[in-house]
Amino acid sequence: MTAQLGEPDNLVLQARDVRFDWSAVPLHWIPGDPVATHLINVLHMLLPAGEEWFVRVFKEAVPLIEDDDLREDVLGFIGQEAMHASSHDAVLDHFMEQGLDVRPFVRQVEFLFESMLGDRGLTGDRRRAWLNERISLIAAIEHFTGVLGDWILNATALDEAGADPMMLDLLRWHGAEEVEHRHVAHELFMHLDGRYPARLRAMAETVTALVSLWQRGHRYLMAADPIVKGRIKGGVRHIRRTGRAGLTPEGRMVAASIRRYTRRDYSPLNEGSTEQALAYLATSPAAQAALR
Amino acid sequence: MTIPPDLYGRRSRDRFVIAASALFSGLYRLRTLRTPTLPPVRPVDRSMRLVVQAVTQVAEEVVSLTLAAPDGRLLPAWQPGSHLDLHLPSGRRRQYSLCGDPSDLGTYRIAVRRLPDGGGGSLEVHGLSEGTVLKVQGPRNAFPFIPRKRYLFIAGGIGITPILPMVKAAEKLGADWHLIYTGRTRATLPFLDELPDQRVTIRTDDTDGIPTSDFLLASATPGTAVHVCGPSPMIDAIRAALPADATLHYERFAPAPITDGKPFEVELKSSGRVLQIPATRSALDVIKEEKPDVAYSCRQGFCGTCKTRILSGAADDRAPSDPAGDNTMLICVSRATQGRLTLDL
Repeated sequence: MTAQLGEPDNLVLQARDVRFDWSAVPLHWIPGDPVATHLINVLHMLLPAGEEWFVRVFKEAVPLIEDDDLREDVLGFIGQEAMHASSHDAVLDHFMEQGLDVRPFVRQVEFLFESMLGDRGLTGDRRRAWLNERISLIAAIEHFTGVLGDWILNATALDEAGADPMMLDLLRWHGAEEVEHRHVAHELFMHLDGRYPARLRAMAETVTALVSLWQRGHRYLMAADPIVKGRIKGGVRHIRRTGRAGLTPEGRMVAASIRRYTRRDYSPLNEGSTEQALAYLATSPAAQAALR
Repeated sequence: MTIPPDLYGRRSRDRFVIAASALFSGLYRLRTLRTPTLPPVRPVDRSMRLVVQAVTQVAEEVVSLTLAAPDGRLLPAWQPGSHLDLHLPSGRRRQYSLCGDPSDLGTYRIAVRRLPDGGGGSLEVHGLSEGTVLKVQGPRNAFPFIPRKRYLFIAGGIGITPILPMVKAAEKLGADWHLIYTGRTRATLPFLDELPDQRVTIRTDDTDGIPTSDFLLASATPGTAVHVCGPSPMIDAIRAALPADATLHYERFAPAPITDGKPFEVELKSSGRVLQIPATRSALDVIKEEKPDVAYSCRQGFCGTCKTRILSGAADDRAPSDPAGDNTMLICVSRATQGRLTLDL
């Protein structure tokens, strides 16, 4: 059936008005596996501040775009990212209610995005250059959100492990929209700047930042978890086990995707499947509820 | 913003953050010793000039337009659900669903119903003659069609346009499908002759009355993908009555019509210009004409992208995600309670 229709193309990107009810979601939403649960939970702490930053940077870029289709894509992207940020923020409130205080780590993430990567009060060409640099970082980060989105859509091991369906729907709705708009940040960077060394530098900075954020974030969650109480020490080394079990992505898979990103002819469209993303969105309880 | 405290309450300034911040800022300063070079941004024009090859009356008040490249070259491929953006000679821009055959890359076909009380776009299309050249953008798809085992298509009148290629694709896929096609009278329904004999129910108001949602959704069994295109009251009725185990698909590009809107004025701080917002249009719509780079996204008041600071005046904050009393408003839906608003734009 797939071959006859072809991969959907030229989609109009639109935000979906989703809502989630967290009240019945357990703290360890992958039952009996706080290590894997918190490896994914690091995302919830990074995304609200991170995606709000995407929105601010992209809003600043809109007036510079000289391509009608790309401008439409960027506007659709902004709305989707804004919904992602607010949806993950609600998960953090739920963590707080269950006695997991995420505020110290979130404060550091906010410092990263609002201060280190924030507006530097520049003008003229310097302002443009700093904007381009931040767009190159977003393009690199969006490479990972696309790869992770594709991964979560195919992560059947999470269903088999009995992961909470509401949480899976949040992650897969988000992942599917990341796959749906995976080309936008890269195309925006190529339109406004496009230099290859800048892409490589952005990827190197992004990998460094993500590895340290994950390491510190996971350690923090394992220490602050009111059930685990620091009995298991957190850290990214755990993905050797969780990756093999299919509960998180595998290091090798991520490394291979980075090698693809560093090719000059990289295209995000070769990562993941729009058709699969749309098929998920067509049946996602949250995305369906938004249409009714 | 000051350096945040240590994660475990040991220090008031986190050492890792201090180091990371110093490293990043140091690298940044080093790079900015050189004057930045900015590659030029090359404008991209993806629009096409297409010639109206044929104007055909396909039903009462409905014409179809066949568009082709003047030199006969192949057109960009499209999938069911896609639409074109037409720039009409008057400057109006209108979007119309493609209703031809996706495997024919030589021509596009759209169909337009004449709406005497509309915004004038349909009357203009009806007045076009063969040989006219139009600026066209697209195709773009806001109503993607994906493989499923069972479909129920519901088309109201001219809403058949995106549905027709879907019906043909479902037939080709060998899917189990059913089409309900409604309208005022049989003579107003285009493309009846292109529909298969089987699996199609035609229902017209003049002989059968206005269809109920129970009738429209009778075959929406569990797992059915219900694709709807038609007037908004029809879509609303289906949204309200859809069984929980079927899925709904409709084109979402049009924001909901404005209810109880009153005209008001908006003053833009940057230019001092005062814009008149009529009762039937949103502030965003009018502001966009004045400031084409204003940021917005969902146009339905939920994503928050167009949130704008109010410098004077009061807004009705009518969207659920537009909290009252915070001196901001979502310009895509919210309106002035009275008189004039001065906005930080």
